[in-house]
Amino acid sequence: MSKREIAINVPVLARVEGEGALDLHISGDRIDQLCLRIYEPPRLFEKFLEGRSYRDIPDMVARICGICPVAYQMSAVHAIEQAFDMDPGPWVRDMRRLFYCGEWLESHALHVHLLAAPDFLGFATAIAMAEKFPDEVRRGLALQELGNAIVRLLGGRSVHPVGARVGGFSYAPRPEAVAALLEKLRAALPDAEALVHWVAKLPVPDDPQEFTCVSLRHPDEYPMNEGRLVSNHGLDLGIRSYRERFSEFHVPHSTALHSTLDGKPYLVGPLARLNLNMDRLPAPVTRNLAETGVHFPSANMFHSALARAVEIHIALLEAIRLLENYRPAEPGIAPTPRAGVGFGCTEAPRGILWHRFEMDERGRVVSTEIVPPTAQNQARIEEDLHRSLLAFGLDHPEDALRSHAETVIRNYDPCISCSTHFLRLNLER
Amino acid sequence: MKTLVLGVGSPFGADRLGWLAIDALRSRLDGAFDLEACDRPGARLLALMRGRERVVIIDAVMGDIGAGSLHCLRPEQLSSSTAPAVHGFGVAEAVALAGVLGELPPELTLIGIGAGRGDAVPNVDWDALAALVQDQPTGANPPGTDYS
Repeated sequence: MSKREIAINVPVLARVEGEGALDLHISGDRIDQLCLRIYEPPRLFEKFLEGRSYRDIPDMVARICGICPVAYQMSAVHAIEQAFDMDPGPWVRDMRRLFYCGEWLESHALHVHLLAAPDFLGFATAIAMAEKFPDEVRRGLALQELGNAIVRLLGGRSVHPVGARVGGFSYAPRPEAVAALLEKLRAALPDAEALVHWVAKLPVPDDPQEFTCVSLRHPDEYPMNEGRLVSNHGLDLGIRSYRERFSEFHVPHSTALHSTLDGKPYLVGPLARLNLNMDRLPAPVTRNLAETGVHFPSANMFHSALARAVEIHIALLEAIRLLENYRPAEPGIAPTPRAGVGFGCTEAPRGILWHRFEMDERGRVVSTEIVPPTAQNQARIEEDLHRSLLAFGLDHPEDALRSHAETVIRNYDPCISCSTHFLRLNLER
Repeated sequence: MKTLVLGVGSPFGADRLGWLAIDALRSRLDGAFDLEACDRPGARLLALMRGRERVVIIDAVMGDIGAGSLHCLRPEQLSSSTAPAVHGFGVAEAVALAGVLGELPPELTLIGIGAGRGDAVPNVDWDALAALVQDQPTGANPPGTDYS
């Protein structure tokens, strides 16, 4: 029998944010080459932040991503505040956690309903899926809009919000706006619970695998803005020591840097967070998840979608809790710039987002490093693709291989635009 | 009920035309219109349109049409005419999804402005655009009509 040689080329990966491609060369029962090729041009944000005042930074880093601007703002303000040796206090801390709840709701609802569910239910698009599952899509869009509303409450607008600043926020939300939003959030709780059950029943492949999970871990709450870096293999590291264990390096086929932990690929994002923080879930989330019969920690990467649904439930409950306790207050403190180095690491929807800012005595950026979650997941995605395609079977038709590869990649909810410092499939066999 | 006019765009080159349209319409339209510039709203368009009797969406379009020319479009014409969008979900997809879910406003007017080639922002007859927003009901003109 002649050896089958296939070259699959996905020139533009659909339904992901940004521009990337997949090159796959198969020879018989062997994958000769597999490259997640990120060709979106580098955006050089780190360089053009240099020389800018701390006042400009939150609005500038928000422009790195249209989906997760809050994450970039939060990691940046925490890093700069550490450099300035300032603590904005509990009100700001609570509002930043609320801000993050909004972003998780918005980003996760988008991914679950418009990107992941169509893959698992066999639809080419969310629009096609909406013909068969209109109520589920409406529910997803409503949850997404609640996330947008939270971001608008604190940021003035839901895309590239402008309310965050070093030291706190530009304003405190009006109590009547808080009360109106709180009512909507409470009304949506049954939808979030039902969503978890719906996603748990999606026909995802049962394909367990070994991988290293990395996330933040907080002493007593599910991690968003604070915590230590932990893994399922014993890592327990302060964020300022990130560079001691994590490395970034160039690969020829990507404008995004690859990352490794102690030289090996690792996973960041909702599944890693949930796997490492099951004991930090609010009780109603634990109860609702237990009813699904799906157990975490999970070694099935396709449980990422369920992890997102669980985090929608978490974010909704947290937002309700924070708004129930809301009192208007001074929205922050005035920074006193000083020369220094600070670190910020927060849990963006796609995983840890690490920042390092060096500031001068006038509060201008001397240098900065920004390590986005999708860049950190790149090596893990390639590792997963390699074994997932072998497990799926390389003797499948090209279209099936292409579709499976795209499903594996989209499961990570990659944000390619963010990661460029990143899909088309080119398959040869 | 006021007509909602949405100018869709991004900061990049001629993709700003939707935003520039909203700026230009502020001095040309009366209080019967709510004007909003949107940065690649994606599926959020459904929430923005919900409950409205009439919505006008203005966006830059690429293709073999005159730079700065104005075109009334049918929803099915959008697939090849919208700018790159967040997660590949742009105006065309949002309008199609709203259609599937039965959530399109009773009257939806889609106006495309020819983006031309390259990044340069073309000259646009904003008075003609204002007239189109005020007077032109959906489907009353042949799609693709050039108003420049």
